[in-house]
Amino acid sequence: MNFLKILARNLALGPSTDPFPFGETFTPKGLRGRVEFDAENCTACRYCEQVCIGGAIRFSKTPEGMRFLLWHNTCTFCGLCEFYCPTHAIHLTEDWHLAHGNEDKYAMVENGLLPTIVCTQCGAEAIAIAPNPTAFKEPATEGQKEQYRHLCARCRRKFLQGAL
Amino acid sequence: MSLTRSQIVRSLSARSPWLYRINAGSCNGCDVELATTACIPRYDVERLGCQYCGSPKHADIVLITGPMTVRVKDKVLRLYEEIPDPKVTVAVGICPISGGVFRESYAVCGAMDQFLPIDVNVPGCPPRPQAILEGVAKAIAVWKERL
Repeated sequence: MNFLKILARNLALGPSTDPFPFGETFTPKGLRGRVEFDAENCTACRYCEQVCIGGAIRFSKTPEGMRFLLWHNTCTFCGLCEFYCPTHAIHLTEDWHLAHGNEDKYAMVENGLLPTIVCTQCGAEAIAIAPNPTAFKEPATEGQKEQYRHLCARCRRKFLQGAL
Repeated sequence: MSLTRSQIVRSLSARSPWLYRINAGSCNGCDVELATTACIPRYDVERLGCQYCGSPKHADIVLITGPMTVRVKDKVLRLYEEIPDPKVTVAVGICPISGGVFRESYAVCGAMDQFLPIDVNVPGCPPRPQAILEGVAKAIAVWKERL
């Protein structure tokens, strides 16, 4: 009489088939999908480019600043970039709807621009440091942070030593 | 109003494209996911009217996995030519799309769309079964246009 038990259970619980693509499906928490880049928090340390297995991340210097480019079609969604990012500028979302027609192949990118700034002390060109608190240990007040952000790398070191 | 034989065949075959799988040097990760979408009732690709077939001559939608390795290149091209037109090609995983982690290797010829016309790309390493189902659904839409 075991089959009657199974029959009753199946009638009560319904089919186990996932309704997708005709209905909603589940997405497990922490699934690694489409990558999101937040240029505001990026300091261009290029750690993500270094650890990227598929070579999906590329930084390039342009007149406007440092450009970030990530191509999803060679990304393995391993999440190393997110793991190693010291300022949490890169994040893998739970969006896995990445299937696309071949005409959109090269449009599957995540872009970002880290604009060039002119150092307020010496006038040299530099990349603005992220306003993310994890990047700062030293300058504590908001005014100091703001001053620190508009310095080039050399002047930042001087700033931290208290020379400015 | 009478339908011609070809119109009947066309309207029926739009409902049941057959799938064929080509492994062009894949690591088997994507092949496992393809087997999952086909064999496990939870994902059940046959709800879309698809069925896996063993012969390229019966195929309508071709699923290609793996980067095009030098060793299988001629075989894949020969196999692809055996598949009757019209056909829809789906690149499953990042390897056939761009070469993935094997890109620029001496043993890999390059992106699949340099050699074959690809219609739908499903990126992932490997893509999850639902993503493959989404890609197959996109391929069926293309297939209906081609008939």
